[in-house]
This record gives sequence, structure tokens and C-alpha cells, in this order.
Amino acid sequence: MSGPLLELRDVSRRFGAFVAVDGVDLDVAAGSIHAVIGPNGAGKSTLFRLITGILRPSEGSIRFSGEDITGRRTHAIARRGLGQSFQITSLFPRLTALENVQAAIVTRRRRASDFATWFHWSTGSEALDLLNRVGLTGGAATPAQALSHGDQRALEVAVALATRPRMLLLDEPTAGMSPFETERMVELVGRIRSEEELTVLFSEHDMDVVFGISDRVTVMAEGRVIADGPAQQVRDDEAVMAVYLGSDE
Amino acid sequence: MTTTSAGPRRALVVRSVVVPVVLVAALLLLGHTLSITNVLTLEEVLGLAVFAAATNLLLGYGGLVSFGQAAFYGSGAYLVGLSWLHHWMPFWAAFVLTPVAGGVIALAMGAIALRTRRLYFALLTLAFSELFFQLVNVRYDFTKGATGIFSVSMIPASLASPRTGYYFTAGVACVSLLILWKVTVSPFGLVLRATRENRERAEALGVSVYRHQLLAFVISGAFCSLAGALFVVWGQSTYPDLLNWTTSGQPLFMAVIGGMFAFLGPAVGALLYQFGYQYVTQHSHDWQLILGAALLLVVLFRPDGLAGVVSRQTWARLSRFARRAGRRGLPPEREPAAMETPIDGAGEAARVPGSPTP
Ligand SMILES: Nc1ncnc2c1ncn2[C@@H]1O[C@H](COP(=O)(O)OP(=O)(O)OP(=O)(O)O)[C@@H](O)[C@H]1O
Ligand SMILES: [Mg+2]
Repeated sequence: MSGPLLELRDVSRRFGAFVAVDGVDLDVAAGSIHAVIGPNGAGKSTLFRLITGILRPSEGSIRFSGEDITGRRTHAIARRGLGQSFQITSLFPRLTALENVQAAIVTRRRRASDFATWFHWSTGSEALDLLNRVGLTGGAATPAQALSHGDQRALEVAVALATRPRMLLLDEPTAGMSPFETERMVELVGRIRSEEELTVLFSEHDMDVVFGISDRVTVMAEGRVIADGPAQQVRDDEAVMAVYLGSDE
Repeated sequence: MTTTSAGPRRALVVRSVVVPVVLVAALLLLGHTLSITNVLTLEEVLGLAVFAAATNLLLGYGGLVSFGQAAFYGSGAYLVGLSWLHHWMPFWAAFVLTPVAGGVIALAMGAIALRTRRLYFALLTLAFSELFFQLVNVRYDFTKGATGIFSVSMIPASLASPRTGYYFTAGVACVSLLILWKVTVSPFGLVLRATRENRERAEALGVSVYRHQLLAFVISGAFCSLAGALFVVWGQSTYPDLLNWTTSGQPLFMAVIGGMFAFLGPAVGALLYQFGYQYVTQHSHDWQLILGAALLLVVLFRPDGLAGVVSRQTWARLSRFARRAGRRGLPPEREPAAMETPIDGAGEAARVPGSPTP
């Protein structure tokens, strides 16, 4: 594993005069679980949106597996192997859980406009398999909007996995979850990593989750990176403690 | 897993064979038995059903409200009409060309309009079709302007007799609906629904939403144009109003009334609309008023239209039946539907109101 899979250099994003992301450097090593933490408004979600191309950086460059993806369109970046789930649940609400996953599989195979594959059936068993792996078998025929919050988050992971990404970007995967659901998600992310040799970049407020599964942690505050290093080291960092104590987190 | 998948899949296969066969048989039978007046109304309904179903590919499946469908419909009609007027080509050649022409126009129109969203998209499509309307209106020497083109000899003598005209239209309509249905259940149809549900998410999956919507637009345009050619078979005329925005409204009305989340909803809407029109205008002059009221009621109380009502009731009845059958002593594992995981086309098994399933 030579060089980082994802490489951000001096990336900034302004909204008017407000600098949401300010000169961020970030290296995510292939095969690692990398957490981005920081108080509310630190710029984590904005950073993720820059990486996935939903937003364009005002400055800086982003490379994914050696290729410059700065300013590319979302779907083009996704096709290079960057899967994501959003902080606010983002699914196809009126499609069934199974169809949500099938839509992702169809897109990955780039056969959506292939009318020779008349039905999207051909993706059924793979989709069901993915639902199984995130523990959603029973809800396959349920519309996504009718699933419980925890199940919706699990479905998001299944949808993201269906694109067979090399890297998975999860923005607060356990947001709003019960302790039980959180535990299930943590277990899931750990299992995915070992099964798929997947790189995971995620943001999270729950410190137990962060230090439970991450290899490396980057700390942001007010748009800047204030600490970055192996999980163990960041945990003992005083500047980090200060940020968290200061912000009632 | 193979056993559980068999059920819903078989159900879909059965449906994809049984529904067309029953439909074709019914149309043949009606062609024989109905009075000439009703045969003609039904013929008109079939053309409009194609118009509405093709429009619903955008509305119900793609979540795109286009107010420019008349541009395709009218172009189809005018291609046949002008070919006759200016002796460009025989009827059959023009007829076969209409979907191609509709597709090309849709490609140009969609390529521009689809760069915008929602209201702006609707307005742009409206603007495009009004452009066509005005063009046809002012170029009297070429199009006969506001007068339109009227002649029985526009169509071959073989189609001029009401019943053969009807059978021809029924045939074209059935094939068109079958193709459109195939499109909706294809991977393309699934992804199109996904873009309707959540554009940002679809893009994050790697879907080029623009390209998908454009393809949907082209397919829709092609079949709307064909429907316009069917109008000429029925009416032996073509006139500027076919390109007017009121014509664009029709398939939208039909889709909403019949149910835009079921494939045949718009076709049912066309039937209701046309026979409703015939009935109401016999008794009063307030067709527009009644239409408006009906639309209002549907939108307020049943956004999934008539098809939504029917499928919800059918579903409720079926599950009640299943429960009763279960109590009568079926093996317990077949009793609750929840454990039987419908693989593939699972949407079919658990028809949820609000999700378009064929
Ligand atoms: N589109 C936008 N326009 C203007 N300001 C924005 C926009 N998006 C984000 N911001 C601002 O940028 C800052 C960073 O927001 P961001 O959502 O990235 O924070 P975050 O670290 O993800 O916070 P949280 O932990 O609450 O999710 C916030 O102050 C926010 O108000
Ligand atoms: Mg955030």
C-alpha cells in the first residue's frame, strides 16, 4: 500500500465571507478506518461534500488513488470508487429497501440503459445478499421511508456497499441511533472493513465509537485541522481535550 | 432462496402475460360488439392512452412535469398531415417516421430544458411547445395556419372505415404500451424512479441524472408523437390546437386522475376522461368545471389516483383472504407474508401505494 488513497492538499471552501473549511490537508491510508471529529459546525460535513464533489472547493486539490478529482462531478467521482452515506439519511424513500440496493447495483454495472436486461431482476440475489449482510433481510419489500431509523442507516450502508467502492465515506453513521443500533453499526463497519479491505472515512460525535474502531483520527475545529494522528495519540492530545471540554460536547 | 424467489417472480410473469392477453382480447371483443360511436370514442381513448402513458414516463416515473408534451403530439400529427399536403411521402412512411421525429425534437428540447429544474423546466417546455404552436399558426402557406389540414384522404382508404381504423389503432396502442411498460420495469426504469426520489443520492451512486432524464424525455417524445399520428388516423385532420398548451395539459390530467404511480393508471385516466367528456357534454356545458373539480379532489384526497384506490383495496382484500386461509390451517411458515422474502421485483409482491409498479 503505497501512498494515501485519498489526499487533500490545502483545501478550502468559503460561503461568502465565511470560511467553512480552511486549508485542510488530509491523508487517508488505503485499508484504514479514519475518523474526522470536531465540534458542531467544525466543517466535517462540508469537507465530505467537497470530497464527493457535491461542493466545489474554493481552493486546493483533492486526489483519489493518485488521480486529481478536484471539481469533478459527483457521479464521476462515485464511479471511481467513492461510496458515501449522508449525515441526514438519504435514500429513495418510496422505493423498497431491495430496490434501493438494486438501483445502486444497476448503476455500478452501468447497465441502466441496457434494455436487453429487461428487468432489474438480475440484481435481486446480489441485493438480497447485501441486505442480509447489514441485517435487513426482513425489510426487503418495505419502502425505505417505512423502515426504522436504525434500519434506514443500515440500508444506507448497504446501498453504499452495492457500488463496490474502494472507499466508504460515512457522515455520522450513528447519528440519532439508540445505543443498541449504534453497537450494531459499529460491528457492521468493523466487519465490512475486514471482509472487503475497504477504506473507511467517517465523521462521528460518539467518542466511544471513534476510539473503538478508528486507526487514525483527524480533529477539526472552525474549519481547520487542529490535530491528526493515530487514534491513541489523538486521544491523549491536550489541545483536542480543550476543544471538546470547551464546547460542552 | 430459490423457492422464495419463485412466488413473486411467477406472479410478475403471470401478470406480464395475462394482463396484455386479457387487454387485447377485450379490445378485439369490444371492436366487434360496440356501436360505431363507441368504437370511435374507444379509438380516441387508445391514442390518448399512449399519449398519457408516455407522458407519465416523465411525470410518474421521472418526477418531471413537462408542459410541452403537445409539441410532440402535434408534431406527430403534423408530420402525417404535411406529408399528405405537400406529397412528401406516403402515409405509411410518415406514420413510421413520427416516433423518430418526436424523439429528435425531444432530444433537442430536453437537452436544453433538462438543464433546469422544476418550475423552470416546466416553463421551458411550455415555451418550446408554444413556439411550435406559433410557427404553425403564422405559416399559412405551408401549414394552412389556424385552419388546419382536414381531409379523409389523408389516411389510406383501408383505415378510413371506423372498425379497421379502430383495430389498427388498438394494435399500435397495445404494442406501444407494452414497450413503455418494458421500459419502466427495466433497470433504466428503476434508476429513473430513483432519480425522482432523490436526485442527490442518485448522483452520489454514480448516476448521470441528466442523461437518464434525457433518455426518458426522448422515449416519451417518440411515443407522444406516435400518439399524435394516431390522432390523425382517428380524426383525419390536424390543426394548431394540437400543439397548444391545453393539449399538453390533457395527458397530465389523465395521468393524475387515473393514477400516475401505476403503469396503466394514465390509460384508465384516458378512458375516464374521454367517456366522461362524452357523457357530461351531453347533459351540460360545464365540462371544464367538472374536470377541474375532479382534479382538485384527486390531488387533495387521492394523489395516487384511481389506480391507487384500486390497488390499495385489492391489496387489503388479498391480505384479508390470506389471513383467513392461514387460519384455516396452512402451514404456519406460509402464513405471515413477512418471512417470505420476495426477491427480485419484490416491489411487485408488496405493492405499496405511491411506488410505481407496472
Ligand atoms: N451551504 C452553506 N452555506 C453557508 N454556510 C454553510 C453551508 N454549509 C455549511 N455551512 C456552514 O459551515 C459550517 C460548517 O458546517 P458543517 O455542516 O460542515 O459542520 P459539521 O462539522 O458537519 O457540523 P455537525 O457536527 O453539526 O454536523 C457551519 O457553520 C455551517 O453553518
Ligand atoms: Mg456534519
